[in-house]
Amino acid sequence: MVENFAISLRGLKKTFGTTTAVDNLDLDIASGEFFSMLGPSGSGKTTVLRLIAGFEQPTAGTISLLGQDVTASAPFDRDVNTVFQDYALFPHMNVLENVGYGLRVRGINKDGRNRLALEALETVRLAQLGERKPSELSGGQRQRVALARAIAVKPKVLLLDEPLGALDLKLREQMQIELKELQRELGITFIFVTHDQEEALSLSDRVAVFNAGRIEQLGTPRELYENPASEFVAKFVGTTNLLEPDQTQLLFGVSKRASLRPEKIRVVETGGTQAVILEVSYLGAAQRLLVKTDNGVQLTVLATAEERVFAREQTVHLQMSATDLVSLEP
Amino acid sequence: MKRMTAMKLSALAIAAAVSLSGCASSGGSNADGMVSKLGDNEKSVSLLGWPGYAEKDWVAPFESSTGCKVTFKSYGTSDEALTLFKTGDYDAVAASGDLTLRLIAGKNVQPLNTDLMPNYANVYSFLKDRSWNSADGKTYGVPHGYGANLLMYNTDVVKPAPTSWDVVFDKASAYKGKVTAYDSPIYLADAALYLMKHDTTLGITNPYALDETQLAAAVDLLKQQRQNIGEYWSDYVKTGQSFETGNTVVGTTWQVIVNAMAKGTKVKAIMPSEGATGWSDSWMISSSAKSPNCAYQWLNYIDSPKANAMAVEYFGEAPVTQDACQYTSDKTFCDSYHAGDAAYSDKIWYWTTPIAKCLDGRTDVKCTDYQAWTKAWQQIKG
Amino acid sequence: MRDSASVSELQANPVVRVSSARRISTLLYARAKLRLALLLAAPVFWLGLVYIAALLAMFVTALYSVDSFTGDIRPGFNLDNIASLFTDPLYVNVTMRTLGVALLVTVVDVLIALPIAFFMAKVASPRLQRILVIAVLMPLWASYLVKAYAWRSVLSNTGLAQWLLQPLGLSTPGYGIPAVVITLGYLWLPYVILPIYAGLERVPNSLLEASSDLGAKTWATLRLVVFPMLVPAVIAGSIFSFSLSLGDYITVNIVGGPNQMLGNLVYTNIGTANNLPMAATVALVPVVIMFGYLAAVRRTGALDNL
Repeated sequence: MVENFAISLRGLKKTFGTTTAVDNLDLDIASGEFFSMLGPSGSGKTTVLRLIAGFEQPTAGTISLLGQDVTASAPFDRDVNTVFQDYALFPHMNVLENVGYGLRVRGINKDGRNRLALEALETVRLAQLGERKPSELSGGQRQRVALARAIAVKPKVLLLDEPLGALDLKLREQMQIELKELQRELGITFIFVTHDQEEALSLSDRVAVFNAGRIEQLGTPRELYENPASEFVAKFVGTTNLLEPDQTQLLFGVSKRASLRPEKIRVVETGGTQAVILEVSYLGAAQRLLVKTDNGVQLTVLATAEERVFAREQTVHLQMSATDLVSLEP
Repeated sequence: MKRMTAMKLSALAIAAAVSLSGCASSGGSNADGMVSKLGDNEKSVSLLGWPGYAEKDWVAPFESSTGCKVTFKSYGTSDEALTLFKTGDYDAVAASGDLTLRLIAGKNVQPLNTDLMPNYANVYSFLKDRSWNSADGKTYGVPHGYGANLLMYNTDVVKPAPTSWDVVFDKASAYKGKVTAYDSPIYLADAALYLMKHDTTLGITNPYALDETQLAAAVDLLKQQRQNIGEYWSDYVKTGQSFETGNTVVGTTWQVIVNAMAKGTKVKAIMPSEGATGWSDSWMISSSAKSPNCAYQWLNYIDSPKANAMAVEYFGEAPVTQDACQYTSDKTFCDSYHAGDAAYSDKIWYWTTPIAKCLDGRTDVKCTDYQAWTKAWQQIKG
Repeated sequence: MRDSASVSELQANPVVRVSSARRISTLLYARAKLRLALLLAAPVFWLGLVYIAALLAMFVTALYSVDSFTGDIRPGFNLDNIASLFTDPLYVNVTMRTLGVALLVTVVDVLIALPIAFFMAKVASPRLQRILVIAVLMPLWASYLVKAYAWRSVLSNTGLAQWLLQPLGLSTPGYGIPAVVITLGYLWLPYVILPIYAGLERVPNSLLEASSDLGAKTWATLRLVVFPMLVPAVIAGSIFSFSLSLGDYITVNIVGGPNQMLGNLVYTNIGTANNLPMAATVALVPVVIMFGYLAAVRRTGALDNL
């Protein structure tokens, strides 16, 4: 049964001096899964990745790769590969040599490794840039070379450490699509570390939300968004209205701590709760309104762009349902 | 008695000079450029010499009695001294025989009127008017001290006890890598002296007068010796240490090095049967001296018994007068340095600058000069 | 009255000062060429006079000759000195010996410096790193002569080297070329460690991790990633040890036994032989060798990264 999992972590713990970066972690990641580790910086997600890669030794616990205990193995003995945040391309080698590096140290001859490296470069559509030095590439191209280098040795698991963090928005969106396609094409396990919740939701089969060295919630993107298990998750995954019991009492007549997603609130012509607009942000596809209801509750509302044009100090009517409330009571 | 005569003579000379020039205060000189009488002392005098030749102990009394403030600069090699003295900044220089003739030939120094220096009369006669301190019958230097380049050996290693320089030449291979020699072109004279005694076919009569063939023979001998040399020395502290550690077991030395050796070091220094090279240092006055009167006073002073005793004992060489022996702090000093022993002194070939005009009087050949020796020395070291 | 006067003085004075400084600033701002000229005057003067002029003077002196009788320098155009560098076995031998010593010192220093610098930059904790940098720099605070004489004592027949090696059936190398290589290697080691350490500092840790991650064992990582990236730093270090060794003459005097290097020939030509032109000629040899070395290094492109 254990063999089914690409990665199994048991009781994993890592401390640096007095700080605990990873605290008693149990986690199974299935083969072929696109798995994301999401969390703010310092939440321990990158440390978990480095423990899996073998760059750090755990203080306690075990790491299994395809059912095999690799806790004590050196990075070069682990069948996982990493795409680094800063890409870590070798500056003195050209693109082809970089991509062929893993094959070279495995003793594959020059012709063989050049052919395999070209194949890997073709998957990221950079076959024509083999002779360039990394310093002559754009950020997006470097990103893809790093990806090609990691997949050229055909690992069982690919670890991606915030690989899109340094790219601009448009490029990042494009790369997200490519990554997803690539993962489907190669069929290998991707473990993706990010602090960008949108990225995690859109790419992953499953997401683990990290906070202070622990997994706060583990589930599919939909589960995390629709049913956040804690205030931390509700706040970190997407934007939300966090309501105190007295506020829900005023709005819905029930008293509990709860989260209400802005897009669950609809702006209607008449009826519902009356509110005044405090602030309008035009987002292109939508408009975000900050409103204050008659009974004094501040809410964020997401309205589609074409609904109508809103302005400050305008009075609107809001329709919302208690069924959309996600209880955050322990 | 001698001294009285000298003083009378100098008084006469002064009187004569006064009558000739009629100039009472600034001194005077005759046609040779030789001072005939002394004038008033200047305020200062600038001296150049080997390290330890003008120390506070004997400079201070000189300054207070003459009013001549002494500035002293020391040098490390005769060649350095030549460069320094040529600047004209010095009134007087203490020069070894390998420098004096160069100074005389270059007209950097003036002939001396020994009558103006009463203490000169008491200097050992075997040190006066020799080839290294006089020229054309004129005196150019007054002696400061003298010594021999002795043969030192480690009594534990070098057996049987040597009596000849052959341990550093023909038999040196027995001590390969542990032989030392003085690092200067003038060391060619040591080889020449050895050849003079052992290869008479070469016809060497003076180790400082070598024609081309004779020099070539000396060079060959030293090139053979080079194979066995552990190091050449010019720093006398360094060579002493080498004998103490056993890195060197045999080679040339100075008496002062022997005396400075750590207690219990198993070494002995001898004058080998061939004799030895040596030095006899002379004070000379610059031909362009700014303070000639003070310079004369200094030359006279350094040959006075007390000052000479202090100076030679400080450096480690024999004094130039018998009177000095009463003033050495070590009462056996004069004995250990063979002061006044004319027979011992006769075995010493004092350093003399080799020049093209053969010093042994030969006129049928040209001798090799110091520059040729310098070049040869570089070739030997390789 | 007095108060108001001093106040007005206070107000007036800064205005005058500022305006004159401002005038100069404005002038310099408007005239870019004047600004550049003033900025470069001092370094150009220094470079021109102290380096270029001195080198030229040396080259010209090498063409002079010496009057063998008076010892005076005779200006003129005379290639004899330069020719003797190639024909006289003395100069050929000593040049070869000096070159050999400099190369050996450089190789030894680089081999010792690489692991030390690697430990300092990549293994040691930040605290230990600071301590090690100070430890490497510390010998530079001691006098060159003291260190050379210390080695003379260490390498003597009764010295530390003998004491350490005797139990192993070996003995001290004594004084000679090996002692010169050891002593110069020791003297110049900090100059080689520091650039290599600085070069290693510039290699991101992620590159080493990436190499290991891709399957390279430690040696392969060093060979394929670390060393190629260190080439400019190693060359910078080697320039120090190589050029300093080429010019040295004191160490060889102290521990070199009877051997001499180029520096000794310069020294004896100035001192003993009173032959300044020949000294200048011999002094040109290390200059030419260094030019050759730098030109060769430039071709590899390593200087671009310095």
